[in-house]
Amino acid sequence: MSATAQTITANPHKTKPSKPSLELINDVQQFLYKEARLQDGQAYRDWLTMLTDDIHYWMPAREQRYRASPMKPSPLHAAYYNDNYANLETRISRTETGTCWSEDPATRSAHVITNIEVELTDHPNEYRVYSLIAVYRNMNEDEEHTLYGHREDILRNVEGQLKLAKRKIIIDQNIFLSKSLNVYL
Amino acid sequence: MDMRTKQPFPADHHDYINTNEGWVDRRIFWEEEIYQQELEKIFARSWHFIAHDSQIPNSGDFVTTYMGEDGVIGVRGKHDKVSVFLNSCPHRGNKVCFADSGNAKRFTCNYHGWAFGMDGALMGIHNEHIYEGAIDKSQWGLRQARVENYKGLVFANFDSEAPDLETWLGDYRWYLDMLLDNEEGGIEFLPGTIKSYINANWKFGVENFIGDSLHAMWNHDSGAKAMMAGQAFPPAEQAGSYHGSANGHGWEFATDSVADIAILGQPEVIEYYDSIRPKMRERLGELRAKIFGSLASAAMFPNISFLPGLGTFRVWLPRGPRKMELRIWTIVNKNMPDHIKQMINKGTMLTFSPGGTLEMDDGENWEGNTQTNKGLLTRQGKLHYGCGSSSRIDHPEIPGIVHQGQYNDANQLAFYQRWADLMNADSWDDVPQRHEPRFAGKPTR
Repeated sequence: MSATAQTITANPHKTKPSKPSLELINDVQQFLYKEARLQDGQAYRDWLTMLTDDIHYWMPAREQRYRASPMKPSPLHAAYYNDNYANLETRISRTETGTCWSEDPATRSAHVITNIEVELTDHPNEYRVYSLIAVYRNMNEDEEHTLYGHREDILRNVEGQLKLAKRKIIIDQNIFLSKSLNVYL
Repeated sequence: MDMRTKQPFPADHHDYINTNEGWVDRRIFWEEEIYQQELEKIFARSWHFIAHDSQIPNSGDFVTTYMGEDGVIGVRGKHDKVSVFLNSCPHRGNKVCFADSGNAKRFTCNYHGWAFGMDGALMGIHNEHIYEGAIDKSQWGLRQARVENYKGLVFANFDSEAPDLETWLGDYRWYLDMLLDNEEGGIEFLPGTIKSYINANWKFGVENFIGDSLHAMWNHDSGAKAMMAGQAFPPAEQAGSYHGSANGHGWEFATDSVADIAILGQPEVIEYYDSIRPKMRERLGELRAKIFGSLASAAMFPNISFLPGLGTFRVWLPRGPRKMELRIWTIVNKNMPDHIKQMINKGTMLTFSPGGTLEMDDGENWEGNTQTNKGLLTRQGKLHYGCGSSSRIDHPEIPGIVHQGQYNDANQLAFYQRWADLMNADSWDDVPQRHEPRFAGKPTR
């Protein structure tokens, strides 16, 4: 089967001969765990500092198609997120207005990160990172949702600090099974 | 026991609505019995949105959707003819198509291999000789709906007695032309669909878009400030704004050309519309060129909604009385440059999608509106729909039932009146015409 916009493939890129160091793998894991912790704590401004200025944060809409007739990839395809830094900041600013009624009382969430793989790329300062994210969300009296996403990230070393430069999230739901997406995957 | 705790269902559905006193009975948002009647009296008789031509441009292109709870396939067949038929095999009932969209030569049931063509006819059966001639294939096709098209929007209806699409839309075509025909080339739908569940009655989505301008200032204050660099929604002038409705379809609007487009947070889109505005005046006239793009929202009976200018288009598919599936698309003018299309696309997804800065607050409200009615005493109450009760006007240009002031419950009540009209009517002759049509048999542009 060919790779489409709807899937994350096992390495579609040329494999580099050298392996990532254990230190790099550890740094990447710590980066992803910190992100998850900031998300759970809704420390969104702190999270923004972990992103590069040219971040692309993308979570395309799913479409259930027959294998013989996959959706043609298009830059105009519907997406839950197709955000640059300013777009993410816009979303976050909504929660800071004091009138964001649906977030008060606050949503409870647990971001769980696993299946982390680190690959070197052609750019010495950029690493491709695959991970699986599970977000448990509990809101209002008793509403529960669990979201799973396959992530393909580009992390960039910016003056000695890792930052997220690119994220593609493939969610495992065709119909999004709840009313809102108020957590980041 | 207090005997008032038991309320009989009224025989006349108009008793659920009071347009003079301005209230609606809460049970229409909760009761299974009423919902089953809706499926029969409303969804089985209405014209439903199936697809836009741009989503199924080629022969074999199809989408699957629902008319009420009936799954259907809409497909472009030979000679450009679009057919819509039930997605259920007449042999044992399984779906014949499991994809949301795609391109196919036929739809073949997984169970016993019955295969249906682009027109829904039964073409062939796996190992047909085993039936030994005991089947007349011409009698066992997929049940067909009537299909009509208005300026690219494909509609279908299973009721052979229903009025044609033009009559169904009536004077609402005057409004709809602002969305579909404001520029040479018309509109197109961008690829992909965002689908989500909301645990709310389907009517809450429709009534919000058909007339509820009022909630925007309060409920969407956070979203507006996020999208417009800290600015709140500017309050609308009741003097220059209106509710207009025809046959249960409605559009609430101001006349400033720009406020809804501004919510996209993309200044270049405003500039684009400004640049085509002179031609828009020629196409649609001065008034409609001022309405399009203003603070506005709109819905078509029974379950289609859109924000003209902002570019979100959606259907609220019923999934029982207390749940719906929302499907949303971005619509743009076909002749726009790609970068403007992309800005509108990003803007609609940033505002009106499950993670959108405005949409997220709506879903919470509608679930609350619906689920509180689980309480027996709660659902005995009425809901207030009395805003703007004495605002009806006659307008020289605006057709349909017109009310002054976009902060108003008028369109919502007109929607519920149409709902009651259809729920009550055993035949189309029993459905009252609620206003004098101005454009019967005439084009609206």
